[in-house]
Amino acid sequence: MAAQAMMNGQAAISPAVPVAGIQQALARNTARILAAIGAVVVFLPLVLTVYLSVFDESLIAFPPRGYTLAWYGQILDKFGEPLWTSVQIALACVVLSLLIGIPAGIGLSRYRFRGREVISTLLLAPLTVPGVALGLGIYVFAVWVEESSGLALSGSLALLIAGHVLITLPWVVRLCMAGLVNHDRAAEEAATSLGARPLTVIWRVTLPAMRAGVLAGALFAFIVSFENLEMTIFLVSPGMNTLPIAVLTYLLYHIDPLVAAVAVAQMVLIGAALILLDRFVRVAQVVR
Amino acid sequence: MGADIAAGRRSRTAQGLAAGAFLGPATCVVLVTMVAPLLLLARYSANRYSATDLMIEAVTPENYLRFFTDTFYLGVMRTTIGVAVLSTLLCVLFGLPLAWRLARMAPRWKGVCMLGVILPLFIGSTVRTVGWMILLARGGLMDIATTRLFATRLDLMFTPTAVIVGIVSFNLPYLVLTMQSVFDRVDVQLEQAAQALGAPPVRAFWRVVWPLVLPGVAIAAVMCFILSMNAYATPVLLGGPRFQMMAPLLYWEFGTNNNWPFAAALAFILMGTTLLLTVFANMLIPRRYRA
Repeated sequence: MAAQAMMNGQAAISPAVPVAGIQQALARNTARILAAIGAVVVFLPLVLTVYLSVFDESLIAFPPRGYTLAWYGQILDKFGEPLWTSVQIALACVVLSLLIGIPAGIGLSRYRFRGREVISTLLLAPLTVPGVALGLGIYVFAVWVEESSGLALSGSLALLIAGHVLITLPWVVRLCMAGLVNHDRAAEEAATSLGARPLTVIWRVTLPAMRAGVLAGALFAFIVSFENLEMTIFLVSPGMNTLPIAVLTYLLYHIDPLVAAVAVAQMVLIGAALILLDRFVRVAQVVR
Repeated sequence: MGADIAAGRRSRTAQGLAAGAFLGPATCVVLVTMVAPLLLLARYSANRYSATDLMIEAVTPENYLRFFTDTFYLGVMRTTIGVAVLSTLLCVLFGLPLAWRLARMAPRWKGVCMLGVILPLFIGSTVRTVGWMILLARGGLMDIATTRLFATRLDLMFTPTAVIVGIVSFNLPYLVLTMQSVFDRVDVQLEQAAQALGAPPVRAFWRVVWPLVLPGVAIAAVMCFILSMNAYATPVLLGGPRFQMMAPLLYWEFGTNNNWPFAAALAFILMGTTLLLTVFANMLIPRRYRA
């Protein structure tokens, strides 16, 4: 109270203070409003999707006749097949990119050698090349290999998995390296001097130390593969569909509560996975 | 002495072998599935398209020339760059205060809010457009609201506005997350010192914090720009069939026209333009603030 009175008194004496005060308030409120708009722009569509998914209507109609959870029961009927394809690809991708990516992560954080920068840039490059360029390139390359060797590559599940490994690999490598940042190599040296063989050292000392990074890598590999669209559209064969492609083609013709239910189911699954992961690793530290 | 050097050399060779064993498989995978395909694509972009044989071997710049001489394709590029620049600016405008707020939040709430920012990142682009379609479509929420309130129809679906809003919504979490980490590294005491010396909070921000975070903000903005340049699902779903951006155009040339040489050229034009604009944007930042 007294402070306020004093400020008022001051304001009466010098006119510069209230102007500055107004500027302050204006700036603070502008920042607040901008932040609020930003939050709305990100979350409003998600909230609306949840809302539409329980409509008891076959189209968007406001207000709906009623609310139902029946759409969720139809997800597997209508989207089961692409969902299964996506899960298969993503699981294969997790296994392969961990097998290749964990050693690469260990190698990059352990050794200092000429050309290390080149290798690390190369391994992270798939993150910056546009998905459409990667997809077109891989497809064209597969056709070329097919013509020269007779291997039936184009349109095969193997090709899709190979493409997806390429884009999940950078995540695994990056997260494994992040997992080893605070790792003290003295423990490895101690194990070696006590007679452990190099592979035993990795299995018993290094891997347990980077457990969190590996776990995060596996999860991110799954998610990145599962949601990829841009590259995948070039690699699928006519009869094959992944979930994002199925949702995209469905959305081109209709928007209804069923597709909203699919979207919500995906949000819930990914959200649950992230929250689970957050118990082991600080996800926020690891993503950037 | 000599034995020492020999031992050192031997251990270096051993280390080289070990590094090769660790990094070999990953490097091979990237070489085979990215570098080789892109090289082949570069070669194909100099080939000639034929309606009957699809592709004729040649070394010709005509695919590139076709792009840069046809007003339709130049228009597509202009739209793409325009959408990318505008959505990046909007992202920075909304993202900056959001990231600042997050960075200075009490730890108890911060964890939850960070998860809230990260979650949308990993929900695919198709799924996230569903919400915007509900809002913007004919007969959607916006349409109904304006019809009831102002008796005018508002059909934003299939307009550039819809695409920009969709892209901003999609990229904003990336930007907020990156900028939040940049802000996090700025010591709170610096602001407190500025304020203790009499600078009001806003002035303390612009004079003390801003110069420190500018390089980080620039990196975040460039990332956001690259993402917008390559956007696929948002322009297809919210822009409609007549709104063209580079990534959908590339897919169309490949899938519908079967014109591989031109699609290949488009891929390199897209990557080249993005790179060029990124370098140009970096030059706009005053040298002393560069990362």
